[in-house]
Amino acid sequence: MTALTLEALTKTFPRAGKVVDSIDLQIRQGEFFTLLGPSGCGKSTTLRMIAGFEEPSGGRILFDDADVTNDPPNLRGIGFVFQNYALFPHLPVGKNVAFGLQVRKLPAAEIAERVAAALLEVQLTGLDDARIDQLSGGQQQRVALARALVIRPKLLLLDEPLSNLDAKLREETRSALRVLHKSTQVTTIYVTHDQSEAMGMSDRIAVLYKGRVQQVGAPEDIYERPATRFVADFIGRNNVIDATVSSVSEGSAVVRFANGGELSVDPQRMAPGIELRTGAHVGVCLRAESLQLTGARGNFSGIVKDVEYSGAVRSCMVETDLGRMQIEIPSSAGRPTPGQTVQLSADPSAVYLVGSA
Amino acid sequence: MSSHRTRIGSGTVIVLLAIILWGYVVGPMIATFGQSITGVGGGFAEYATFFDFRGGAQGESMLGSIVISFLSVITSGLTGVFLAVLLRRWDFPLRKVCQVLVLVPIALPPLMGVEAFVLLYGIGGTFPQLLGSLFHVKQTAFAVDGVSGVLLVHTLTMYPYFYLTAAAALEQSDDSLEEAAYSLGASRFQTWTRVLLPMLTPAMVAGALLTFMSSMSSYTAPLLFHVDKVMTQQIVISKLNGQLGLASVVSVMLAIISILFLILLRRYEQRTGYSTQSKGGARKRRRVTSPVWKAVIFAAAFISTIFLILPIGMIVLLAFSVNGSWRTAPLPSQYTIQNFVGLLHDPKNWSAIMNSIEMSAIAVGGAILLGVTSAYVIARLHFRGKAFIDIAMMLPWALPGTVVAINLITAFANPSVFALGRVLVGTYAIVPLAYFVRFSPLVFQSTAASLAQLDGGIEEAALSLGANWSYAFRRVVLPLLYPAIAAGALLAFVNGIGEFVSTILLYTPQYRPLSIAINDELYYANYGTAASLGVIQVLLVLVVVTVMRRVETREELLKV
Repeated sequence: MTALTLEALTKTFPRAGKVVDSIDLQIRQGEFFTLLGPSGCGKSTTLRMIAGFEEPSGGRILFDDADVTNDPPNLRGIGFVFQNYALFPHLPVGKNVAFGLQVRKLPAAEIAERVAAALLEVQLTGLDDARIDQLSGGQQQRVALARALVIRPKLLLLDEPLSNLDAKLREETRSALRVLHKSTQVTTIYVTHDQSEAMGMSDRIAVLYKGRVQQVGAPEDIYERPATRFVADFIGRNNVIDATVSSVSEGSAVVRFANGGELSVDPQRMAPGIELRTGAHVGVCLRAESLQLTGARGNFSGIVKDVEYSGAVRSCMVETDLGRMQIEIPSSAGRPTPGQTVQLSADPSAVYLVGSA
Repeated sequence: MSSHRTRIGSGTVIVLLAIILWGYVVGPMIATFGQSITGVGGGFAEYATFFDFRGGAQGESMLGSIVISFLSVITSGLTGVFLAVLLRRWDFPLRKVCQVLVLVPIALPPLMGVEAFVLLYGIGGTFPQLLGSLFHVKQTAFAVDGVSGVLLVHTLTMYPYFYLTAAAALEQSDDSLEEAAYSLGASRFQTWTRVLLPMLTPAMVAGALLTFMSSMSSYTAPLLFHVDKVMTQQIVISKLNGQLGLASVVSVMLAIISILFLILLRRYEQRTGYSTQSKGGARKRRRVTSPVWKAVIFAAAFISTIFLILPIGMIVLLAFSVNGSWRTAPLPSQYTIQNFVGLLHDPKNWSAIMNSIEMSAIAVGGAILLGVTSAYVIARLHFRGKAFIDIAMMLPWALPGTVVAINLITAFANPSVFALGRVLVGTYAIVPLAYFVRFSPLVFQSTAASLAQLDGGIEEAALSLGANWSYAFRRVVLPLLYPAIAAGALLAFVNGIGEFVSTILLYTPQYRPLSIAINDELYYANYGTAASLGVIQVLLVLVVVTVMRRVETREELLKV
């Protein structure tokens, strides 16, 4: 088991510019760590630098205490699962899995044993001689996993491994990955743009945006206490509304919106680095599920534009004079129809403040 | 640090490539340019005569080449598209057989193939004689000669450039497009002119550029049909007259035109054709119901197919004819298998076959090394001057064989570093060298195309699993490239066996290759012997085509 440290890791491309901008991360032994961000945020480049496929323009990469920044990928002892799996099309399944062991010149008996064990682990026993193109997408994915794990890598690196699978298979593979991680305890770095994947699988997540780390934390931290306005916008269905702090007192504060409406907030619930003083500009995060319909006069009022029914909840788009707001109400809580004027109340204990735009 | 070591390694390879390309491709072309200024009959003034199309053989020959090439594009295009539509859109009896047969002219050997046209349609040929006696007129009334003969050869050998791409495009286009056009109110005619034919345009442009280039390079057809007002003929005539300077001037002008077209073609290739986005619904071929229409289509397909395979048929027929048994009749009168038996016993022609195989094999060996290395370097490494390697690699493919020969003659008529300080002209080595220069691009192209399809992640996967670069290359990249390399090498080999144009300018009588042996036999009117040698070439091409087919299906399977 290996810990990974990235120190001021930077990558500049001639045309695209600074894709990774001085990233510092410490990933613990045996952790399932996810790099999450929109496309172009630098997450894949970071992963490829950890693997050694890209040379960093600056900074250091440490496996435990060993500096591997300039080591070629074949000496790093990593298992890499590619988005398109990159299986060797000319080799059957068994030979694909055995490749890394043959490179290491292990005795044939040990290779056979470990390949069999790896295939068992991904539930592909007996498919040794199958050709790659005879496999389904999900099976190919598991061959790629077995091939990466069989060499007992120091780090398992996964580059959007689920993005080529259909929805149901993705769910299944997610849990399979979690089980595999539990049993192997290998330090795993997972790259994805899908927040539900990241939330569901990770011990910790780093949210990346424009080549910089926005926040590192457990899924709950990131969801409930976003550090920046970007994270607040990116994670979950969040309404972030600009406001000005109108009064501050012990244990409570009031913010005023552009339309004159006011809302009292909990001064404990705000991103680090925000100065709570009268006149300060802040972003007020209102999660879609923390806004509810109310019969009385609420904090906001608006006209329902669109309703999407998805079983347990109804998601509505409400046009208010502060812009569009997303709300999510239990299906039992009423049946708003488009065109209807509604009153919205915010749960003060769920309100969270981030920096202004 | 090992990344340092790989960088030094790849630097060395790039420098080596640059030296080889400079020594055998770019350097000789520049030498020809120098010769054109200083050599006998050369000089700057000669260049000016090109642009006075009426005065002097040079201007006339450029005009002649361009006009013939232009006409060839039109006739080949019409023939190719006509055949593609005929054979791909309608279903009729024997359609599959016709589809295979119309590709047979690809196997037509370079020199013997053109000679077959002369013997079929030229003065004293089969058709003029038959038609002449049928209509009781002088047979020369039906004989083709001069420009019309050249055009006939060009059309019937170059239509595949159009046929193949047009057929593929038609096969891909799906019915929903046509149905969409009809549903929007287009008439059948409008559907053709506004939707179906425009979709063929990218294929047509590429085909036109290729046909134009091939026609400009064409040497044998003008030679056998007595057209000397084309550039390739002027180069050889000037060279034989000892005016190497003048030959170089024409070569340079021809090279400039060829390079221009190469650039145009490469530019155009980067734009992709139209591929339809629609899913499902295999195309259904029109079933013809009207009996008249059915007869017309069947007859058209049948007659064109016969017409296309006639030259090859002629070669096969001649191969079994007794030498000298053909005087005035439409066809030879006596037949034998003695020609083939003779090949094995006649040391003269047998050694020609062996010479050709040996020379081609040497050239292909070099071509594999150069072609594969440069394809890999261009696909996987990033460095300055990559475009230079790419252009220098493809240059000999665009240059006419005559020009390549003149380049090598000028560069290696004196001791050269690249010939280890020796003179190559007049030695054995110059012919394999010419084949190497001319046919390396075939290996390069085929390897590069395969590399472009190969996901770079596969190499990275091997590295991540602990393989070093050379292990990954040997165990993963090479096995995946092998079919493409083999296909390119075989194609180069067959081309070397048949190569006539540069050979005639470079060979030494001591080491006579196959094409020269055929040329000599034709000179003595030994059609039987010449044709039997031609049949051997045809068989070789067929073997290669079959192997390549299998390779292609294997490549299909490898795509995941």
